[in-house]
Amino acid sequence: MVAVSQKQFMMSMDRPSRRSNQSGFDKIFRLASLGSALLVLIVLAGIIGSMIHGGLPALIEFGPSFITSSVWDVQRDQYGALVAIIGTLTTAVIALVIGVPISIGIAIFLTQLCPAWLRRPVSTTIELLAAVPSIIYGMWGLFVFAPLFAKFVQIPVSKIVEGLPVFGTILYSRVPSGVGVLTAGIILAIMIIPFIASVTRDILDQIPTILRESAYGIGCTTWEVVRHVLVPQAGVSIIGAVMLGLGRALGETMAVTFVIGNANRLSASLFDPGSTIASRIANEFNEAIGLQLNALMALGCILFLVTFAVLVLARLLVARVKTR
Amino acid sequence: MNPVAVSASSAIGQIPADIASPVRIAVKNLNFYYSDFRSLKDISLDFHDRQVTALIGPSGCGKSTLLRTFNRIYSLYPEQRADGQILLDGQNILSNSIDVNELRARVGMVFQKPTPFPMSIYDNISFGIRLYEKLGKADLDVRVEEALRKAALWDEVKDKLRQSGMGLSGGQQQRLCIARTIAQKPEVILLDEPTSALDPISTGKIEELIEQLRTEFTIVIVTHNMQQAARISQFTAFMYLGELIEFGPTNKMFMTPNQKQTQDYITGRFG
Repeated sequence: MVAVSQKQFMMSMDRPSRRSNQSGFDKIFRLASLGSALLVLIVLAGIIGSMIHGGLPALIEFGPSFITSSVWDVQRDQYGALVAIIGTLTTAVIALVIGVPISIGIAIFLTQLCPAWLRRPVSTTIELLAAVPSIIYGMWGLFVFAPLFAKFVQIPVSKIVEGLPVFGTILYSRVPSGVGVLTAGIILAIMIIPFIASVTRDILDQIPTILRESAYGIGCTTWEVVRHVLVPQAGVSIIGAVMLGLGRALGETMAVTFVIGNANRLSASLFDPGSTIASRIANEFNEAIGLQLNALMALGCILFLVTFAVLVLARLLVARVKTR
Repeated sequence: MNPVAVSASSAIGQIPADIASPVRIAVKNLNFYYSDFRSLKDISLDFHDRQVTALIGPSGCGKSTLLRTFNRIYSLYPEQRADGQILLDGQNILSNSIDVNELRARVGMVFQKPTPFPMSIYDNISFGIRLYEKLGKADLDVRVEEALRKAALWDEVKDKLRQSGMGLSGGQQQRLCIARTIAQKPEVILLDEPTSALDPISTGKIEELIEQLRTEFTIVIVTHNMQQAARISQFTAFMYLGELIEFGPTNKMFMTPNQKQTQDYITGRFG
């Protein structure tokens, strides 16, 4: 014991220079990493600040009616965000309703049912799908998907539901052009599937084999294992994956701008054109001046707020489920 | 349970009929393969009704593999296969005509680590029962209580049946898993190193429990702990490199084993 401490003492006497160098470098290193972290906050604060600064004139001019009004008239300089907000939320919800079950199905297939030789090709394909640029989805959606959608879905469905209550309104198309809110929702669903599916796959992969085996061990079928044990076990994390997809769906711009039709009209029909916050900004930003520019900035603030709220909600949900 | 003339035993895996209860599981010429690797070599072994049989041997000897054939849990993995015969009450469970899900309700299994399902304590028990029996609420309550009592867990959880099974301690969780298994009224219970993740006190409780469960169930336990095998089992099978080296009544195995390898393993000279 004595010998050891003596040795340590000797060592510290031997190399004083290295130690002081080290602590100097350490200080720089610490400051540099602190700076990197602060930079993120500063950039974020800067973006929020300039958005609010830019959007404020429009918010002051129109007050709360900026949110509740559906008028967006460049000629008369009257702006209201309602159509864009509803369009944003509707397309995102459609995307989730279509995309989440498919994504979870893909994840379950890949982790539970897929033969080993097929697993890699399917996984890779899904990851490639995530790497497709959104403009490609937009082009494909407009030039390939929309005409087919009009011919094989909008026209026949409109004929069937015509005159029916509820469905006659929601799924009726006066001008079956293929573009519209539902088309945008479907394209968004295709875009978020790879994200939700691959995250959910990773989550299911992390569930211990032994839990899965014990569920089979009491005589469960594959469906019962998945439905009652694996999915509940992964529950909270799957919500996280869904929120990731939702965040993308809310903010997606290019693909939606191509296929949503960009009409500022409130319509009860999902087949009708509409617009989202992001598509409106993308469409008008180039020529916008004065109050119109301010209104677009204010739209940006709202989008920011909505995505932020989704994030907070997701966190709260996850925290609540965890503590329960 | 004191063995007298065991040395007269004919084949390795059999015990003379006069000192043992009827055979519940008869393994005949069982071979097991992980892809091309043969991990069980021509095993023949009898498991007796309402007795605890311990499978011992060094890591990789095939004892867990053998255990996992009795409920065919290995068949979840396409690269694993078994040939030979395993007769459960005379019926070959390796045959393709067997419904494996139903088999697994008849042959329950408890794993190395506690694996409560992500649901309430009550549902952890009732889930397995409801898979195979349609019971009313009152009957189900009775079955759940009965299973928890048998697993010596009732007094600790009776006031929080609606809480998650994840909130229990490790030892309680493992007893919950045992309760879940016995609630299905299986014929055989397989225990795969059930105490390896538990502290000594919890281990003691599980061992007591196994002692009591023997009156109703045929139990097969894989254990690394030789003292445990000596304490709780009536029969012991010693395996090495995929082969059954020796099988016999536990006290005979531990006092005067026939094989030198068994002797060496039990006295801690290898393994």
